[in-house]
Amino acid sequence: MKQLQQRHYVFIGLALVVIVTMLLPYRPEIVPSAETRRMHEYIDSLPEGSVLLISFDHEASSLPEIKPLALALLRHAFSKRLKLIGIALLPEGTGVGYGLMREAAREYDMSYGEDFVYLGFRPQYVAAILSMGESIPETFPEDYLGQAYDQLPMLNGIENYDDLACVISVADGSLTTHWVEYGHARYRVKVSAFVAASMVTTYDPYLASGQIYAMVSGLRGAAEYEKLIGIGGSGARGMLAQTSMHLYVILMIIIGNLIYFRQKQRGRG
Amino acid sequence: MDIGIIIAGLLTLAIFSFLYRDNPVYKMAESLLIGVSIGYFLVITWDNTLRANLFDPLFTGGEIDLLIPFGLGLLMFGRFSSKTSALSRIPIAVLIGSGAGVAIPAMLGARTLAQMSATVQPLLTESGWLNVSGLVVLVGVLCTLAYFYFSREHQGTLGRVAKTGTWFLMIFFGTTFGYTVMSRMSTLIGRVEFLLSDFLKLTN
Repeated sequence: MKQLQQRHYVFIGLALVVIVTMLLPYRPEIVPSAETRRMHEYIDSLPEGSVLLISFDHEASSLPEIKPLALALLRHAFSKRLKLIGIALLPEGTGVGYGLMREAAREYDMSYGEDFVYLGFRPQYVAAILSMGESIPETFPEDYLGQAYDQLPMLNGIENYDDLACVISVADGSLTTHWVEYGHARYRVKVSAFVAASMVTTYDPYLASGQIYAMVSGLRGAAEYEKLIGIGGSGARGMLAQTSMHLYVILMIIIGNLIYFRQKQRGRG
Repeated sequence: MDIGIIIAGLLTLAIFSFLYRDNPVYKMAESLLIGVSIGYFLVITWDNTLRANLFDPLFTGGEIDLLIPFGLGLLMFGRFSSKTSALSRIPIAVLIGSGAGVAIPAMLGARTLAQMSATVQPLLTESGWLNVSGLVVLVGVLCTLAYFYFSREHQGTLGRVAKTGTWFLMIFFGTTFGYTVMSRMSTLIGRVEFLLSDFLKLTN
């Protein structure tokens, strides 16, 4: 067997930190940020029956981070009896988005076609966003399951963005930017985002300028949202692990630097 | 236990095995991911797009105007032969022309004008206090722009302002990198949670 190298010990340490903290029953106190509260307050303020378009703009690989975010949003929206339309602008997110909507809908006894629908995937996201601004039924003549648009009772009277309260992009990449550039700028539809933490700095300028109404980001955002809606989920469960991993990485950086400077000193000597 | 959970758990472990070293189990899981992704993409594209938006309306619904995009799409296949490859330039030209026409005003509006407008904020708040956040944004933007001004040598005042710009850039890169690390950790936490709860049933 190949001898373990330095990096293997770092990985083993990291694995131990995650596993041990995930097994511990302790949950750290979470204080929701202003951005998360803004999103929560907005969904809370919507009257029953308002229609949200949730765009699953992510790939399957980011599911572990996206799932807690999306489930927190879906649970809140279903608990408020809002009508949800799901779409996907990336093919890999199509099945994931549908699965998440079904999972949350089951918990709230929501029925397909009346309380929520899933329209599926459209390629060429710019064309898809622009096309929906003109006509959603022409962009999606059928839903994901192959049922005609006009056969789904929930979609009666929904023609374009004017009939929606908000578009919420659940994204792991830069697709939310296109919602801002084409959906918000051209059709003035309100755009909000639930995004992976890696995209926060990309979307912060849009949030500051008001082009994105509200943003919830990363596992921490999911934990904050779960706290606001009073439902425990993966976000809250992962917070202790994430904090511990951050401390572990900081410790490794300090140790690495100490070793580096010590070796440098020895080299001079 | 659900067979899907068993397969997902074993494949997660197979991918994690790369942390030790490259091995056939990892290669198999990686190839499976690529294969399944491509297959899934083809099925989704066919069923959700080509059939629903093109073939059904064209051949069943009689929407003959769809012959134009259909014909342009067919021309793309011209690339398979050197004799017909020039034909593919027509749909590419349509794509680039229409794409640029749509994108340029949208980007100017959303990325440039709206962002410029958001940069210029009142330096005093309504209650008379200094708007520190607005000031930092303004100074940051001006210093960073100075760093990318290459028509004059970065010396004297311009040099000092440009140097400050590099600090703003470094802070941005550091923050972005930190968030990316955080994001990857969240992914790891998600998979470990899956392994511990769904696969191994060690937690609820």
